[in-house]
Amino acid sequence: MKRVIQACAILCAIVLASIPGRAVAQPAGGGPITITIAGPGSQLSTIAVSGLKNLGGDDDHRVASAFVGTLRRDLELSGYFRIIDPHAYIEDPQSSGFELGQFNFADWRSINADFVVKGSVSASGAGVKLTAFLYDVAQQRRMMGKNYNGDAGDVARMARRFADAVLEAATGQRGPFDSKLALVSTRGGRFKEVYTQSIDGQDVFKLTGNPTINLFPSFDRSARYLLYLSYKSMAPALYLADLKEQREAKLDTPHGRVFGGTISPDSERIVAAIERGGATNLYLITREGAEIRQLTDTNGINVSPAISPDGATLAFTSDRSGSPQIYVMSLAGGAPKRLTYRGDYNTTPAFSPKGDKLAYQSRNNGRFDIWTIPAGGGEPVQVTDGNGSNEYPSWSPDGRYLAFSSTRGHNSRIYVMMVGNRKIISALTEGNGNDSCPAWSGWLGE
Amino acid sequence: MIPVQRGRGGWVSSRSTIARAVAIVGVAVMLALAACSSKKPAPIGGDNNSGGSQLGENGIGKGGGNSLEDWKNGKFGAQGPLSDIHFAYNEYTIQEQDSSVLKSNASWMQAHPQTRVQVEGHCDERGSEEYNIALGAKRSQAAKDYLVTLGIGGSRISTISYGKELPVCTEHDESCWSQNRRDHFAVSQ
Repeated sequence: MKRVIQACAILCAIVLASIPGRAVAQPAGGGPITITIAGPGSQLSTIAVSGLKNLGGDDDHRVASAFVGTLRRDLELSGYFRIIDPHAYIEDPQSSGFELGQFNFADWRSINADFVVKGSVSASGAGVKLTAFLYDVAQQRRMMGKNYNGDAGDVARMARRFADAVLEAATGQRGPFDSKLALVSTRGGRFKEVYTQSIDGQDVFKLTGNPTINLFPSFDRSARYLLYLSYKSMAPALYLADLKEQREAKLDTPHGRVFGGTISPDSERIVAAIERGGATNLYLITREGAEIRQLTDTNGINVSPAISPDGATLAFTSDRSGSPQIYVMSLAGGAPKRLTYRGDYNTTPAFSPKGDKLAYQSRNNGRFDIWTIPAGGGEPVQVTDGNGSNEYPSWSPDGRYLAFSSTRGHNSRIYVMMVGNRKIISALTEGNGNDSCPAWSGWLGE
Repeated sequence: MIPVQRGRGGWVSSRSTIARAVAIVGVAVMLALAACSSKKPAPIGGDNNSGGSQLGENGIGKGGGNSLEDWKNGKFGAQGPLSDIHFAYNEYTIQEQDSSVLKSNASWMQAHPQTRVQVEGHCDERGSEEYNIALGAKRSQAAKDYLVTLGIGGSRISTISYGKELPVCTEHDESCWSQNRRDHFAVSQ
């Protein structure tokens, strides 16, 4: 197991170095073309994701299957596309070409594809070279192309980056799939453990393995560091895991008992909820746990810190008004400003990637729904539909989606929804336990 | 940063050796307590009492041990010398009917001066995990403050909050919620 993990760490480093997905040169005279598709409420676009042409070394189609399978799942999860059933595809990828002019658009028009993805793969030893293109079928035009070089273990990640590029070409905005999800789950037992996975459900990694209580994972911007709360020493403490170096440290908070925290986007600082004499207040601390500054000072409850993407603003939950409500304040200090007035239980704020909005959970009839509100104050907007209890919103790196936990099914699961049209797209987790506390990272390696 | 090795189900930091030692001591203490109290009637459900959904003889969570240890061992609800107190929804003030419970707990502590007590604050399942951990801290502090006013030395009483993580009753209604909103008193020597 350890060897696998080490291998993965090495591979990831190679990926970061070698698959930034070089854009294939645009056709002469053609700049990047953007087509706006499938806005909120409109019909889904149809897309065919063809198999890849094997230029050598992928006779068993393992690389092609990993790429195509991941890409189809990601495009489906984007909420913009309906994937045309591969059984309907007319063309044989091996006998046709993948470059413009080497295949027949009529083969794709006749199965009602708005878009088609075609490409090629060559593999030698552990190395993989992969090329993929996105075509607009109606206009018989190449929209975008990418080359990837990497290892066999990097292929799913190549597909995620290509999915993000497809969304950028088709919607004008890069997709969110080259990222990670952290969550808490009781799968396989009674105990809440922290896991990470890709958004499309692969690469599931169990970070904690202690039969106690583990909660509140949060990523820094690069998704290299993950902060979480654990009772594994029988008292609650924060742990900072370095996912790249595969090690972690327990934070030595100066005095008081820590109940949660969040890591700043630049990974340099942490805001922690620390209890002293029964009162829980928020403190700015170093990544080792040393106190920099006390941020709140009430005799009640101040929890659920969230740091804005620019690192300047703190959002949190406080009971200072008599009920849990959301406040914002400068991390440099100063008076908090109350943001929420609707409802008597508002908590778990999360800043959008642009920092202009907060998502949070608000209680109604004993259950929570996800709402958003302008970060500077204003009218709140309900985004989930009252189905089950919907909690712990976390934004995708592109700001179009929210991951959240919901009890709408039999168990609590992590779901993804499109914020703009309030469409619940899919569950992101499965298994026999209850899943909670999702944290959606930024784009990997940024 | 402390180098760690990949354990079976996660990373094991070098501190966990200490944690394991603490856990072993904790179990030993519990076993000793169980031995001391073996003349008392066994709780309903006995050793099969797992998952925290069974009732103790005189109600819920009267166990004398640490709830997280009990939870780990699947033996929630063992009898102990001190009684739980309960709270109104989202409240942490001591209720009138519980002052007699606290007085009786204080008398026991005065009669057993070598003991120490950890007051555990617990909450019902409604609300966010983090808010409930802070609420549980308020509840445990309220009982500690009360015991201190009754003359128990503050150094004999520690507090911890488990929020809504260790319910003794798992139905989704007020009959369970009212039992889960509690302070539990874990005794150690």
